[in-house]
Amino acid sequence: MENKEPVDITRHKILVANRGEIAMRIMRACRTLGVAFTAVYTREDADSGHVRLAREQGGDKSLYRVSSYHDANELMAVADDAECTAVHPGYGFFAEDFRFARRVCKRDRRLIFIGPSWKIIRELGDKINTKRLARSLNVPTVPGSDRPIYDEMEAERIARSVFEFQAQQGIARPLVLVKASAGGGGMGIEEVYDIDNFRSVYRRIRNYALRQFKDEGVLIEQRITDFNHLEVQIVSDRSGKNPVHFGTRNCSIQSTGLQKRVEVAPGFVPAQMDYSFDAAKVLQDIVHYSLTMARKVGYDNVGTWEWIVTRQGEPFLMEVNTRIQVENGVSARISSIRNHEGPVDLIAEQIRIGLGEPLGYTQDDVTFDGVGIEYRLIAEDPEHGFTPWVGRIERFAWKEEPWLTMLTHVPTDTPYEIPTEFDPNLALAIIWGKDLAEARERGVSFLDNLHLEGRNNAGEALKSNVDFLRANTARTLRF
Amino acid sequence: MDNTIEKRIQSLNDRLSYTRDIFAGKHEDSIRLLDEKLTEFTNRVRNGEVEDPHTEIVSLEDLFVFVEKRLEKLITPMDRVRIVRHPQRICLRDILENVYDNFTEVGGQDEHSLDPSMLIARAVITRRRGKKMHTQSVMVIGQEKGHGAEFRNGGSVKPWGNAKALQYMRVAETEGIPIHCYIFTPGSYPIEDYPGAAQQIARNIYTMAGLRVPVISIISEGGSGGAEAIGLADKRLMLSHGYYSVISPEGGAAIEGRLKAGQRAAPELIEHCAQNLHITAQDNLSFGYIDSVVQEPALGARPHHFDFFRSLRQEVLRATDEVVITNTKPPMVRGLALARLRNPEANLDEMYVRWGMSGAAKNRMRERRQQKFLRLSRAAAIDNRPFLAKNAAALRDWVTKPWMHFKYDFVRRHQRKLHNIMEELSSEWDVFKGRLFSPWKRIASPAEKKATAKELTTLSNWVDDNRVSKWNYLSPRYKVDRTITCPNSASYGCLDLWGPDLFAEFAGVCSHCGYHFPMEPEWYVQNVFDKGSVFEFNREIEAGNPLNFPNFEERIKAAQEKTGCRSGCMTFEARIDGTKLVVAMLMGTFRGGSFGAAEGYKFVEAAARAAKKRYPFLAYVHGTAGIRIQEGTHGVIQMPRCTVAVRRYIESGGLYLVLYDTNSFAGPVASFLGCAPYQFAVRSSNIGFAGPGVIKETTGMDIPPKYHRSYRALSRGHIQGIWDRRQIRANLKQALLTMGGRNLYYR
Repeated sequence: MENKEPVDITRHKILVANRGEIAMRIMRACRTLGVAFTAVYTREDADSGHVRLAREQGGDKSLYRVSSYHDANELMAVADDAECTAVHPGYGFFAEDFRFARRVCKRDRRLIFIGPSWKIIRELGDKINTKRLARSLNVPTVPGSDRPIYDEMEAERIARSVFEFQAQQGIARPLVLVKASAGGGGMGIEEVYDIDNFRSVYRRIRNYALRQFKDEGVLIEQRITDFNHLEVQIVSDRSGKNPVHFGTRNCSIQSTGLQKRVEVAPGFVPAQMDYSFDAAKVLQDIVHYSLTMARKVGYDNVGTWEWIVTRQGEPFLMEVNTRIQVENGVSARISSIRNHEGPVDLIAEQIRIGLGEPLGYTQDDVTFDGVGIEYRLIAEDPEHGFTPWVGRIERFAWKEEPWLTMLTHVPTDTPYEIPTEFDPNLALAIIWGKDLAEARERGVSFLDNLHLEGRNNAGEALKSNVDFLRANTARTLRF
Repeated sequence: MDNTIEKRIQSLNDRLSYTRDIFAGKHEDSIRLLDEKLTEFTNRVRNGEVEDPHTEIVSLEDLFVFVEKRLEKLITPMDRVRIVRHPQRICLRDILENVYDNFTEVGGQDEHSLDPSMLIARAVITRRRGKKMHTQSVMVIGQEKGHGAEFRNGGSVKPWGNAKALQYMRVAETEGIPIHCYIFTPGSYPIEDYPGAAQQIARNIYTMAGLRVPVISIISEGGSGGAEAIGLADKRLMLSHGYYSVISPEGGAAIEGRLKAGQRAAPELIEHCAQNLHITAQDNLSFGYIDSVVQEPALGARPHHFDFFRSLRQEVLRATDEVVITNTKPPMVRGLALARLRNPEANLDEMYVRWGMSGAAKNRMRERRQQKFLRLSRAAAIDNRPFLAKNAAALRDWVTKPWMHFKYDFVRRHQRKLHNIMEELSSEWDVFKGRLFSPWKRIASPAEKKATAKELTTLSNWVDDNRVSKWNYLSPRYKVDRTITCPNSASYGCLDLWGPDLFAEFAGVCSHCGYHFPMEPEWYVQNVFDKGSVFEFNREIEAGNPLNFPNFEERIKAAQEKTGCRSGCMTFEARIDGTKLVVAMLMGTFRGGSFGAAEGYKFVEAAARAAKKRYPFLAYVHGTAGIRIQEGTHGVIQMPRCTVAVRRYIESGGLYLVLYDTNSFAGPVASFLGCAPYQFAVRSSNIGFAGPGVIKETTGMDIPPKYHRSYRALSRGHIQGIWDRRQIRANLKQALLTMGGRNLYYR
């Protein structure tokens, strides 16, 4: 979309098709940009902060109750009734659903989907496509097959060579991963320790895939066990030609279910810490690779390239998240744009370029300063497998600091019942420090001064991951 | 009063009430005249006023005969329907007692029977030539109406009754005795319990197409499917007052008048249908669907017409003898023997033809029977193929036949041998080569190591991405921006679907519960088979209006315009992943997928083509509502006809597959589809003999919901599997590779 004439984004009205913290951030960004918005909520969310914010700050027809955030028909009906011109999916729900994106922009009353175009979502949402695209650009990917294998003999041959390959690399306990090529979300994945077990595992996965996904294709890859999880934040306008990056993040501190709990930007700090490999080069490489791919597909919104970096310092592309992520704030916190007033807000950037404005700056205008740590505050029990805690929050308070940004939909002045229908995130705390040591120190002091109290129906005290976060702060960026 | 007089009065009373019943309010004056005369005579006799009742009753009987003869000329087709349904009509037991010399019922006794409406008996006929007596056995099979006895169910046979018939046909085949089938049925009893009305009839027809004994069928009331279940015969006779039809006139009227369940058709409309369906014996004789007519007494045969039974016996014997002679005697003698037999003066009881046949004669008989059915009803379809093209096709057939024999029966066999030898040699050579070069290979192994790494980390070559489900054809409904509610949303909680998604990417399948929305025939043609591989043939054979059914011409034209097809059956050659096959597709969009003479013609041709080319043969039922009733018996004859074609194809060693998609009902399922050894269904299909409305109408039962769903059909054993629409292509490919006979071109 190469519009020569300037785009007037204030004509637009955006449907915020999400809830909680991200909905609030989108609405705030809209306010900053002067764009009107409409929020939706369900019965369970009536007390949520995003509803309150929409009531306080929304204009005409700015709040609708829907039966489900998952019902596209209802959202479309709301968009039509409120005369919205664009939809922001946030993260989760419809954010990476190319069918929703396609529907939004192909229906009779067309809307703008604030996110990449549906074709890109579809293309990069398919892990085989992504892997093949990466390999065609010489971007490193996890060693293994890059197409579904349907033939048992061939599958075994590949598995054998993956084992051989790992042996050559000097890996002590080589592992092979067999996964259904049509699967996702951890379904239909199994590890093989021994080539003699391969056939039985292969057949099991194949039959599962056939039953579950109606496609018996199987991927065979090396299983990498010891790695750090890094991300590259990409932003590009609708022209798709000039993507810029907003640095890297390290999301290696995760729950046992591999859900992120602490995110740090930048990805490594080679100046302040010793690594067994050339960390600066790794960061440079993954940024370069990500931008190459973004350029190749004409990526036209915000997105995240996820990487795994092994202890040997080899990066492998894992997947591309074609959406704004939870942890975008931590990247925004350490970056600044030349001639840009106020702090960087990636969601505002996303809305702006999503509505068709050009980016307006280049990579040279983006600079980084300091270290950001983001904590996800969750009512859960880290000692018992991170089980979510359900109940009522009676007190939620923290000490305001200039280096602290709190993002939460939980009201601090009234008690709040945690809804069980959605993910149990309560708040995001973003801490900034001029270096890693200061950021860690401030993080711990923030956690020390945090008050998060409540009771459940049985009268038991609230459980949260604050201790887990505090204990892991020292581990950040260490590899 | 004299007892005989009383009996004769009673008999006249019966005749009078019979006449009144069959005319249903017509010819009132004649009937009233008879009534008055009879009442007056009765009163006088009772009062003792008559001097010579015997003389007077003779003149009264003469009057009855006179009036009946006069009324006989005025009989309409609907009157014939009433005649065959009348409780006084002869039934099978009368025939057994009067036509045959002795018999034993073997299929049960009265109500103590698997199905009292199907009567089976071993009967004997004694013939005398000179001083010598010959006793000949036959298997008599037929529906028994039992003069209205309730447990006989009006001759409406349940599936297991037909199964019983089939069992005794096999017995007769083993014993080598002829079968006489007497058809007295308004139609089969439409329930789906195993073995299933439709499927059992299909099995019967399939078996009868290949029975190795003479089969004679005699039609009195021939109601479509029920009649065909025991109707495929070497000779078909018909009683002059019987009817043979695709559907009862009431049923026809219900369809013509588009009546809802529970509504009754107007008598005029029923009369109109009876008239226009051409259901009488004479009509069917002129179409060639029966071989001769057995003349009945005026107003139809009743049990007291002993002369009728005598002539029926003559006709039945003549038909059986004829079948035997035509296939056993050498050609020179055959003419003479047949002429002697066909002489109307001949008394068959005093002639003797041995009914035993040699194996070769049995094969000839089978072949002749099959050819006879294949030839039927061709004239009822409009063949618009250009004259030259038609003849060229026939010529090509004639020329390529020996070539095909040479190619498959001779060359292929030797080719295979040669191939095996070459394979062994080359594997030996490989082993030798490996040993020879092994030292050198060991030196070159580091290169191999690098190759492994390269293979695992760089882009591989991927030729066919069959994982990407891109459809070659999208339903035009995908262009409409609207949401569609899945019918299962109440029970499965499916979210509403967006039309453009549903009809394009989802192939009309609910992404949550898998409900299949119906799709157009084009979707299958384009998406199941290889792109660009579809080659349609015999497109020019058109559905017509062979019976000149009123206003039907326009409706056929309208259907042709709407669908752009000339008939409801599309026959084409196509490929699935390179495997060629012949497909006959019944399209639910063309007049509900009804099946008539043109469709039958194309189906038979397609089967023949598949047999000749050694291709698999797929019957793809996009939808069929049954036989096209407006074509009358031209339609119903497609049941045995296409089944014969299918049987010939299967026996030639091919693979006959049936795939049901949407609603598949009645005639086709009860014959050439239901007889297939491999039947599969797409989840969206409903399979059965009669729709819920008809079942309610004929049986009075309320059927449970989802009675005909494919899953029910699967549990009843009617079909072999259920496929997802998106998987049809893959499953078909699998089927082609794993099933089928010895004679497929790719074996």
